[in-house]
Amino acid sequence: MAAGRRFRVDPSLVIVTVLLVAVLIAGFTLSERFGTLRNLMNVLEQAAALGFVSLGQSLVVLVGGIDLSVGAVVTASTVLMAAVVEMNPAWMVPMIPGVLAFGAFIGFINGFLVLRTGVHPLIVTLGTGSVLNGLVLLYTLQPTGGVPYWFEEFAYGRIGPVPVAGLVMLVCFGFVWFFLKYTAMGRSFYAVGGGEESARLSGIDSNRVILIAYTACGFFVALAGAYFVSRTGVGDPRVGEPFTLASITPVIVGGILLGGGKGNVLGALLGVFLISLINNLLNYMDVSTFIQWIVQGLIILVAVSVYVNRERKL
Amino acid sequence: MAGAWIGRRAGMIELEGITKVFPGVKSLDSVDFEARSGEVHALLGENGAGKSTLIKTIAGAYIPEEGTIRFDGEERSWSSPGESKDAGIHVIYQEFVLFPELSVAENIFIGEAPKTRFGTISYATMYSRASDILDRLGHSLDPRALVREISIADQQMVEIAKALVGEVKLLVLDEPTALLSEREANLLFECVMRLREDGVCIIYISHRLEEIFRIADRVTVLKDGKLAGVRQVSQMDRDQLVEMMVGRELTDVFPPKVLPGKDTAPVLSVRNLRAPPLVRDVSFDLYPGEVAGLAGLVGAGRSAVAHALFGSLARTDGAVMLAGESFNNPSPREAIDRGFGFLTEDRKAEGLMLLLDISVNVTAPAIHEFSTGVGMNRTAEIQAAQDEIQRFRIAVPSPLGDVSKLSGGNQQKILFGRWSRACHRMLILDEPTRGVDVGAKVEIYEIIRKLADEGAGILVISSELLEVVGLCTRVLVMREGRISGEVTGDAVSETSIMRLATVSAAA
Amino acid sequence: MSEPASKSTALVPVKRLALPAAMLALVGFAAVLQPSFLSPSNLQDILTQAAPLGIVVLGQAFVVLVRGLDLSVASLMATVAVIATAFNATDDAMIPVIFAVAIGFSALVGLTNGLLVTKRNVSPFLATLAIMIVLQGLRFYYTQGAPAGSLPSGFRFLGTGRIAGIPVNMIAFAVLFVVLGWLLHKSAFGRKVYITGGNPVSADLVGIRSDRVTILCYVICSVMAGIAGLFLVGFVGTVDNWVGRGYELDSIVAVVIGGVALSGGTGTLWGAASGALILILLFNIVIILGLPVQAQLIIKGIIIIFAAALFARARAQ
Repeated sequence: MAAGRRFRVDPSLVIVTVLLVAVLIAGFTLSERFGTLRNLMNVLEQAAALGFVSLGQSLVVLVGGIDLSVGAVVTASTVLMAAVVEMNPAWMVPMIPGVLAFGAFIGFINGFLVLRTGVHPLIVTLGTGSVLNGLVLLYTLQPTGGVPYWFEEFAYGRIGPVPVAGLVMLVCFGFVWFFLKYTAMGRSFYAVGGGEESARLSGIDSNRVILIAYTACGFFVALAGAYFVSRTGVGDPRVGEPFTLASITPVIVGGILLGGGKGNVLGALLGVFLISLINNLLNYMDVSTFIQWIVQGLIILVAVSVYVNRERKL
Repeated sequence: MAGAWIGRRAGMIELEGITKVFPGVKSLDSVDFEARSGEVHALLGENGAGKSTLIKTIAGAYIPEEGTIRFDGEERSWSSPGESKDAGIHVIYQEFVLFPELSVAENIFIGEAPKTRFGTISYATMYSRASDILDRLGHSLDPRALVREISIADQQMVEIAKALVGEVKLLVLDEPTALLSEREANLLFECVMRLREDGVCIIYISHRLEEIFRIADRVTVLKDGKLAGVRQVSQMDRDQLVEMMVGRELTDVFPPKVLPGKDTAPVLSVRNLRAPPLVRDVSFDLYPGEVAGLAGLVGAGRSAVAHALFGSLARTDGAVMLAGESFNNPSPREAIDRGFGFLTEDRKAEGLMLLLDISVNVTAPAIHEFSTGVGMNRTAEIQAAQDEIQRFRIAVPSPLGDVSKLSGGNQQKILFGRWSRACHRMLILDEPTRGVDVGAKVEIYEIIRKLADEGAGILVISSELLEVVGLCTRVLVMREGRISGEVTGDAVSETSIMRLATVSAAA
Repeated sequence: MSEPASKSTALVPVKRLALPAAMLALVGFAAVLQPSFLSPSNLQDILTQAAPLGIVVLGQAFVVLVRGLDLSVASLMATVAVIATAFNATDDAMIPVIFAVAIGFSALVGLTNGLLVTKRNVSPFLATLAIMIVLQGLRFYYTQGAPAGSLPSGFRFLGTGRIAGIPVNMIAFAVLFVVLGWLLHKSAFGRKVYITGGNPVSADLVGIRSDRVTILCYVICSVMAGIAGLFLVGFVGTVDNWVGRGYELDSIVAVVIGGVALSGGTGTLWGAASGALILILLFNIVIILGLPVQAQLIIKGIIIIFAAALFARARAQ
């Protein structure tokens, strides 16, 4: 029993890494432009939005929830930021923490409603997302607002060859990874996701953990909103919509169990890279963008049925 | 009454007048309880007597409606398990409070992981301290292994190790040996004795009376949510203890045993049944009109045998004859159609449909019987349910009532109605009286007798040895997936069964 | 509608009255604000709009009852619409053929969903999400983003026509409602659906093949979505790649408003259908009040949380 196994790697990390390497190899052989540093850095830049949203989603999924309001939060953040700053450009700097606080607040509301009503998080976040979308669309149906030119640096800026947005995303993932691995609060995410009642009996304040997870999710999702404002200079009432469901793919492919208690945000990061690289590669191969959807759907199916089957054998 | 103290060994925990009510049930009714430091205090009672509620109250997981709790000399009222834990109370529940995806060490230190000076978790310290604690328990286990990957006995050790992380003044053990081999149980007893010498107050819950006599100093007995008595263990014998628990003489509880006819052919004949890992090699016969028992420790494979026979667990090998015909590719459907019913162990998870009404629950295995060209014949279904309600004197106003609101005894009787209605040949009853009060138990024993008298072969699986001994004319004992022996007639006794269930695990 | 075998306790009549009461209140509210709400043409419009969603909801209810969820319905509706136009038929005689092919295709999609959920043990959310994305990709790939082709003119009649003043698609809905209502609340299969949804483990142990029941529920759901897609394409008149967009979530909202719990095993088809009608009524009220269409989203969001919380509380008692 007491085999001194010192080295322990989550098998789902291995699977997603293998897939990633396969895509890279395919990319290097199939396309000349794919393998260039320039292109890979572009991928990193473009992956940032999916990265932020998936990072938020990971936290909620880890504690056994799900957040279907992320798309609406992205949208609302862009519109809020661009509209406020257009009215008074002096608000640009305060609006950066401001919009993150806004996202965190919506996340808090989600968590509060989930705990208070006892309704499935799927329904709660579907509801809050719908309300938020409605409010945004009442305000504007067209891209609106504007931000000072310098704010573009967040999305397009480079430090050496490295894109700022990609770097910020990596730092965020690193921070969350550290938080989950090395802080008591972070570990209790796994406990709550593994079993709320057990966590409670172990003296862990599950409600607090769940609130923190949803709040942090909203925070990171709003960061994706800020990224879009920086990228396009406007607040777009439709920009977030695809992210609601897209944010779930990297989380699942990265081995975070829907239902909670298991997984690693590094897996989600690899999942984000995987999806972004596949889309990039398919673009270079002149394959219609529609194929990307098919591939994405199949990846979910393959990943999920492989993981599930493996767990069942244990 | 409580608050009494003897010399310097005052009560570590003193409960006075504790009442805890759940919707429809008074789980604890003005119960007093007191246990001292440096003693092993056994808490006894049948299933449903209120033991679990009492310990959850001590732990702060339940907040009682009435009564006071004094711990270590101070009046306390916990509002969460965290508070009682901080005060030095540690409870090891029957259902483990473990996180399968976290490592052994993390589980041991859950909620109180050692920190570095920066406030982050120090895994190095955690692993080495976990190893130390496990060594103290005399158990070698990789602290890095995921709990999901280790055996049940190891998981039990992790549970105990958790108690030793902080200062523990009161340790509650809820049936700690249910899953352990004899050697492992002995290790546990040594550990308990050591903690007692350190002055820890230990509350020990077990169904195994011999364990109580072996390690407990005093015993408190609960019955139907009330205090039945507190005694020095050394001043009691077994029968007195049992009578305190059951509240009446044993001869009044069980109907007389009847031996089945000698010359009948077996209704079920099992040869070399295998369904690894739990069922390794099982052979036996069951006769019409017989009430046989299948005993053994939890985890010995008793329920797995039932599932493998019924078709809800895949067999890898074995020849089974049901009423003289082969039954080798079973499915629950085929089993039911051939008159073989299976009342499962966990009536809420595997038995009742709690959202549906009584009639639907009764007729569930025989839907096709009531299905006509234009739909389900509700009138016939309700009549069928009504018949069962009368036959087993189930206390419900109507067959359309909600099953979720019934008492455990009535729920169980509904399942008896379901299976005896659909299946006449044979029944496997897995823990037929779990979570049922004494009165309903007596009625269920009579039902079992009646069904056997009507000619059904009945196999009773039970963890309550008292029940197996009281009901069965023949008992098959399992150990590690095999039938380790059989006792019949007057040889059926708790001692003979336990010997077959545990011997050799250590040797 | 027929009385479900499962529901007979004191709580239920209250719940059963709650939905018609809510509907009546909404109708009354709307009529007071805008008398023209009760005009035959407005009522016909409401029913015409409600029918396709209602048909999807009937199927979604089956899946939710067995503890599932189908996110692929809207994508399937659009895909079926594209398939229908792929025939490029002009003759109404082709309509039955188109229906047969569409239903066959839908059944296949439902079978896939069901197999993934039962045999591969994929969570319904992910399985149907993946199928939704795959269908979307296939559809766009086939149409290259710009659907072409035409439908027989008869589709227009199916989507918008009336027989004796009653919208044709509403008649179709009513027929399906009666058939599925019988299936769910009267037949042996319906009983198996409730038992499987209420307790899948028990279902297997009383000899019900719960996997098979679950798969069939997914097939029913997809077939309903396929039929709804055909009626909706007739209603919209033109095919685009997004026919039925939003129906996956709206159908779940309707089912939940109607008292079918996501945890399975409880709720009625009548409730689910009422949920659809309530949703459409609310949408209509937003319009007649002269509010911007976007307010529908806000109302939808509030009502689903509110309704779900209400039912959760009622069940907890």
